[in-house]
Amino acid sequence: MRKSWFTLIAGCMVLAVMLGGCSGTQAGSKEATNEAAHETPQESPQELVYAAAKDLIDMNPHVYAGSNSAQGMVYESLVEHTEEGIKPLLAESWEISGDGKSYTFHLRKDVNFHDGEPFNAEAVKLNIDAVQRNAKKHAWIKLSTKLTDVLVIDTHTVELVLSEPYYPTLNELSFTRPYVFVSPRNFIDGETKDGLNGYSGTGPYKLVEHKVDQQAVFEANEAYWGGSPAIKKITGKVLPAGETTFLALQKGEVNFVFTDDRGTDSIDVDAMTNLTDAGDYQIVRSKPMNTKMIVANSSQTNSPVHERAVRQAIWQAIDRETISKQIFSGTEPAAYTLFSSNVKYADVDLPQRGYDPEAARKLLEEAGWKLANGQEVRTKNGSKLTMKLYYDANSSSQKTQAEFIQHELKEIGMRLELVGEESTSVAKRRSAGDYELLFNQTWGLAYDPQSTIAAFTSESSYLHTTKGIARADELYDKIADVTVSMDETTRKSLYADILNIVHEEAVFIPLTNGGVTIVAPQSLQGIGFKQTQYELPFEKMNFNP
Amino acid sequence: MGWYMAKRGLYAIPMMIVISFLTFILIHLSPMDPAEVVLEAQGVPQITPELIAQTKAELGMDRPFLIRYANWLIDCLQLDFGHSYVSGEPVWTLLGPAFLNTLQLTFASVIAVIALSVGLGVICALREGRLLDRSVRGVSFFLTSMPSYLLASLMIWYFAVKLDLLPTSGMASSASYVLPVVVIAVNYAGIYFRMIRSSMISQLHEDYVLYGRASGLSETTITMHMIRNSLQIAISVFCMAVPIILGSTVVVENVFAWPGLGSLSMHAILSRDFPVIQAYVLVMAVAFVLFNTVSDMVNAAMNPKLRGDL
Amino acid sequence: MNMLKQILKDRLAGVSLFIVAITIAAGAFAPWLAPHDPNHIHMELRYAGPSWDFPLGNDHLGRDVLSRLIFGIRPSVLYVFAALLASVCMGAIVGFIAGYFRGRTDAVLMRVVDAMLSFPGYVLTLALIGMLGVGLENILIAFVLSKWAWFARIIRTSVMQIAETDYIKYSKTIGVGHLSIMARHIVPVSLPDIAVIASSAFGSMVLQISGFSFLGLGIQAPHAEWGMMLNEARTVMFSKPELMLAPGLTIILVVSAINFLSDALQGALDPKLMSSKAKFQARTAVSAARLQGKEVA
Repeated sequence: MRKSWFTLIAGCMVLAVMLGGCSGTQAGSKEATNEAAHETPQESPQELVYAAAKDLIDMNPHVYAGSNSAQGMVYESLVEHTEEGIKPLLAESWEISGDGKSYTFHLRKDVNFHDGEPFNAEAVKLNIDAVQRNAKKHAWIKLSTKLTDVLVIDTHTVELVLSEPYYPTLNELSFTRPYVFVSPRNFIDGETKDGLNGYSGTGPYKLVEHKVDQQAVFEANEAYWGGSPAIKKITGKVLPAGETTFLALQKGEVNFVFTDDRGTDSIDVDAMTNLTDAGDYQIVRSKPMNTKMIVANSSQTNSPVHERAVRQAIWQAIDRETISKQIFSGTEPAAYTLFSSNVKYADVDLPQRGYDPEAARKLLEEAGWKLANGQEVRTKNGSKLTMKLYYDANSSSQKTQAEFIQHELKEIGMRLELVGEESTSVAKRRSAGDYELLFNQTWGLAYDPQSTIAAFTSESSYLHTTKGIARADELYDKIADVTVSMDETTRKSLYADILNIVHEEAVFIPLTNGGVTIVAPQSLQGIGFKQTQYELPFEKMNFNP
Repeated sequence: MGWYMAKRGLYAIPMMIVISFLTFILIHLSPMDPAEVVLEAQGVPQITPELIAQTKAELGMDRPFLIRYANWLIDCLQLDFGHSYVSGEPVWTLLGPAFLNTLQLTFASVIAVIALSVGLGVICALREGRLLDRSVRGVSFFLTSMPSYLLASLMIWYFAVKLDLLPTSGMASSASYVLPVVVIAVNYAGIYFRMIRSSMISQLHEDYVLYGRASGLSETTITMHMIRNSLQIAISVFCMAVPIILGSTVVVENVFAWPGLGSLSMHAILSRDFPVIQAYVLVMAVAFVLFNTVSDMVNAAMNPKLRGDL
Repeated sequence: MNMLKQILKDRLAGVSLFIVAITIAAGAFAPWLAPHDPNHIHMELRYAGPSWDFPLGNDHLGRDVLSRLIFGIRPSVLYVFAALLASVCMGAIVGFIAGYFRGRTDAVLMRVVDAMLSFPGYVLTLALIGMLGVGLENILIAFVLSKWAWFARIIRTSVMQIAETDYIKYSKTIGVGHLSIMARHIVPVSLPDIAVIASSAFGSMVLQISGFSFLGLGIQAPHAEWGMMLNEARTVMFSKPELMLAPGLTIILVVSAINFLSDALQGALDPKLMSSKAKFQARTAVSAARLQGKEVA
């Protein structure tokens, strides 16, 4: 008997020690970081090691499986999208013909691919032709449907011929993919759609090592035409989001974290503040770049989400101010329209639709969704008001929002089932139309509004979202018109109409305006952002000597 | 002896055929049509019923079930498990390295389990009923009742961050092995330790020990004898533990970002990468059967009494 | 009853039994015991510390941690227990039939059992979740599927031993029906054995299910489950460590109690367990099978 008691006591003691350690953490971690803070000056970091929630998967920039930010370091496009508009990148200058159907680019002459191959008109033609031969994949980017020919004028001059004028052409040429350039030596049988045998781009960094699900190492391209970057080595480490990343940061195993290309913040807002308080790290937030939203699949005809009233009710049942204040600690402002008004063409008068659960209930009542006595979920003709919402399992903020929204919808008699999946799977659902509601975000300043709106008609993006609405045909006609219109005022009014239709139909339910957040070592300078949320200008960063 | 070995070895073959068959059926449990899975993997944007029918014909999916199974099995034997639905890469290029990583973790853990459980088992048996014995048993009891992810989180915090001794995750260096191996070892050693302790205690009452003592052999010599005997147990524990631990590293791998099968399968599940899941199940089950077969053979070789009915 | 008395003689086992009983009762009567609705969100109380109204504080959505802990007993313990019972029943039926009738029936049934046992439990669970989707039900189904074979094999061994005894042979000769022999002689004798093996699997199953929920493969929001609670607490492990304390301690306490009870049960049943080397060897085959059930989460 005494033996057993002893066992119990011994066990309890171990327990107490272990958990005591745990609860002492707060004080302990402060101490630990302070110590670390004293150490850092001696071994101030010279390279960046960033945490990635998943592997970079595929470096082929002519398809879409891989990580945008990694591809952005290695490959470059002809032109660049900056705050001041389109600027030269691999093309020094260009001319657009009077009818808007021909673009002639004069290429830089001092550019080589990482493998030594020269970058010239021939390479441009080979790359763009390879992309065009895989046209189905690129339907979201309307340029791919209008590009008819690539002509090599001389070694450093190339002409793109379009079937009709298309005003966002330069915009779309600036995207991270697909119109970027891979050394033709990496092609397999003259194609890029089935993979590459190497990843030589023209960019400031080259990929030197890739261990699947472990890490990818990038080294500075010393021969970079824009000058060799200051940070010589960048490593991407695959780490599970959340406290593993936090610990690794605290310990210095990684020293850089940013919002990834699917909008996943690896670290909780409070934990981030904890880190900066200790003095080793800085947090840099971009201006709001996009709108985080719930996308409703209007084409699911046998689901309640097909009904406009249901979508509007969801819209009105969500308290965005609380999401912004509580879940994002005020770092992301609440959003009430698909595009914030600073986006070009998006400063449109739209009817106000804010948080109003009473109005939401009324909408549902009027649409025939009745709440029977003692029931929690409304029904109509025997079917229940139940929907599935897909979120990225790696994003704790999405999960928290999903749970919060689930609760708010329950209050108006709607049941939401939450399903967490990998972001790639959620993206696949979007393109296959295999969803009712899912978390998404607009594509950022370089893409909004023209490409995001053009993508309303693209199978791989938002076609399923918009297909089922009452005025779908009208919407698609207007979208087709707007990109070919050469006149600024018609364009404006067409965009206003388009935004009015999708606002009215409530297929894109905005939540907050998000941006890119970077956690970086205190000594890192030159931290900036691009006009897209998908990549960062690493080549402009340097360490405080 | 040889007869038993042959029989046991041959027995693994029908087992593997059954496993492969069950795994083949598995894909039919998924809510998606296999043809649809293939099309999605190829990234075809619009999947129409005609396209599905056409793919079915191309892939021979309209042929009888058993023929499809045979074709699939032949592909699998050549390590052709199809292409990942997420990255489009051949499944084996993902699975192969991950399998090796998991094997490495498993072997390291099993060695730690043995060292810990045999070491503690012997010490506790010699000190049966005393303070040391009781405290070790108490501690091991509570550690076994602790969820491994909780233990792992606490260990990362303490050893990797607070003391800054070890890396938090990944498998960059040999130091990366320490924490995951310790977590697994602590969890399993509790079980095996009790087994070894009991067997040691029973040995203490064996005739040869009593006789040895009576004839004036030194305690050290007797202990050496006992340790030699318990080595046999250690080997059989080792053989039993390999397949069990191999199949259950999922949680630990995920907490420590170990690039093994556990992490791979978890990502595959959350991204509905059916070809990878299927291949994972097949590879794990085959490995499990192989290790169990070897384990039975080793046990039988050491312990002829066990060669009873199969 | 005898067994129960024997267990209660050991005070620690008594305490364990008490803990397990209280836990099960609390889970069963959760709606009456829990002070609040476990899913009710109070955003303004996000991460609030303990208070009179919320004795264990509030989680990331301001939900009451205590209520969630109590409701969490259902998936974490009760449903696991149900799955355990289901698999024990399946295993017992197969084991009884195989062990009693022997011969061809036995051979066929045991080959099926072997096939099921050739999938490690975790792998089978992951396979089912992978194909059928994430969710608690699928894990429970996988538990039943992967554990029954293991029970069947052990129960068969135990039944075979009993069936060899003289009084069974005698009953057979005097023409007592198979069913009544089973019901009257075999089931009562083998029940304690079954109780021991079932209880020894229970603790690890509780750990496993919390492990799957921890990885996000188990229960789906908003339902409370201990592993899920730990997962949610893990994101703020360093800013709010106290959130890990309640679910962490609860799991350890309950699993320890279950394991201790299982040990006591075994001790009560077979006090001289493994008393000689010969016996150890004879038992290795069984313990090998038994250890397969001991996959730890």
